[in-house]
Amino acid sequence: MEINTLENDTGTVVRVLLVDDEDNYRNAIARRLERRNLVVSQAPDGTACLEYLGENEVDVVVLDMKMPGMSGMETFKDISKYYPGLKVIFLTGNAALSEGVEGIKAGAFDYLSKPVEIDHLAGKIRQAWELKRLEEGRERDKIFRRRLEKRMIHTQRLASLGTMSTGIAHEINNPLAIIKESTGFLRMVIESADQIPEKEMLFKGLEKIENSVDRARRITHQLLGYVRKHGHELTSVDIRRLTEDTVALIKQKTQAKKVSVQWESEPEREMLMHTDPFQVRQVLINLLENAVDAVDTNGQIRLALYRKEQSVCLEVRDNGSGIAPENMKQIFDPFFTTKPNVAENESGTGLGLFVVHKIMTGLSGSIHVESEPGQGTTFKICLPEWQSD
Amino acid sequence: MVKIPVKILIVDDEKDFVEMFSLRLNRQGEKVSAAYSGQEALDLLEKTKIDVVILDIRMPGMDGIETLKKIKARYPLIEVILLTGHGSTETAVEGMKSGAFDYLMKPADFEDISEKLTNAWNRKNEQEERIRKAEARLLLRRTGEI
Repeated sequence: MEINTLENDTGTVVRVLLVDDEDNYRNAIARRLERRNLVVSQAPDGTACLEYLGENEVDVVVLDMKMPGMSGMETFKDISKYYPGLKVIFLTGNAALSEGVEGIKAGAFDYLSKPVEIDHLAGKIRQAWELKRLEEGRERDKIFRRRLEKRMIHTQRLASLGTMSTGIAHEINNPLAIIKESTGFLRMVIESADQIPEKEMLFKGLEKIENSVDRARRITHQLLGYVRKHGHELTSVDIRRLTEDTVALIKQKTQAKKVSVQWESEPEREMLMHTDPFQVRQVLINLLENAVDAVDTNGQIRLALYRKEQSVCLEVRDNGSGIAPENMKQIFDPFFTTKPNVAENESGTGLGLFVVHKIMTGLSGSIHVESEPGQGTTFKICLPEWQSD
Repeated sequence: MVKIPVKILIVDDEKDFVEMFSLRLNRQGEKVSAAYSGQEALDLLEKTKIDVVILDIRMPGMDGIETLKKIKARYPLIEVILLTGHGSTETAVEGMKSGAFDYLMKPADFEDISEKLTNAWNRKNEQEERIRKAEARLLLRRTGEI
């Protein structure tokens, strides 16, 4: 029998709920289905059926059409309303063909007329279950695809934002240069003149202009990836050394805040990445500086280095304030910053992580972040391992 | 100490920038000329003696790199400092391979500009000095032969 091919083809449990008001009949069918390796529960009427479904997981409902109280059809309507994924097989009276057709039209999986042949019923149940499993799989795929699309849209948005902001940055550098030269010239003129009223105030004003130009310049230069002085040739990079060099580079900042930066465990020697050292250094500087900004005085930054599937990964873990969940989506967006926007040269430009993301993508690497507000944040970057041949 | 003015040519299509930059350099005692395009710069160099050219990379028409190559081909002793308004420092590096002395990112600090100007000028002077000495030696040898 073709239906038998579906039987026992998988070890997964098929859970059946059998709903019929005739106790003896129901018990007999249940027993015989159980012998065919189905997990069967029973309900004497529609209400009991819905109650059972409210508390238990079921794959297939075998539903008698003709029951006292709630009819099979009424029960079915409630089932499809509250448990849309469930498959229902109707049992109809011998002569009531039209009822069964009506059931299928309403969305039931199929119907069988009483008296049913038990193998036939078991076969239908398994078919229904297969369909349910398939649909669930499709649903999962759909959700997965939707998520993927969303992420891609985000990445594309970031990329176009990046292109746009670098364009803007470039255009802004020219007027900035003019402002800077004009200010410099004014300063020269005022410095050499003796009789100028409120000279001090003029200098103060000039200083503010100059500071603002420097601040704007920091933004434009950061956007333009000023670090790429040396082109971008990929070579073998000893990531451990690069990391230690970079830690030494920002020593002033860490010492001022009494922050300790240490390896979590001694990394092995000779971990080589295939990448651009100058860009990776920029990534490390940005991540480490963020970590220092995130922790309190005496904070801790722990570094971990390990190999993973032809990549070398570096983790920068701080025990700082963490990232609020609502900010998590935006941290790689340009101009997104939570650092206080004071008019000092130390305030965040909102470009650090954006640049990091841009560089990592450009180097075929990956970046992950995990954060627990109040506990700390871990950034993980992975880059291709150096293949010596 | 009397300052010997450096003869500078600024080439940039941003007229406001050229104007303010010239004012500042002039006041510092340099002798500044201006050109607003690559072609204008080449025309000017035919008539005027220049020590150092400050050249914007991105200009409409003949761009900075092309202008640089022509300047270096015709006047190898003139030093060129490139100005770049954008992040493609690769272009600047390419420029240096074509003979530029150095490059600066806009907006640049005046101190950086002054320092690079001085260095460029020194290099030009040293080079000219070497050439003079070599010519003198050549002359001596020739007279010795007579």
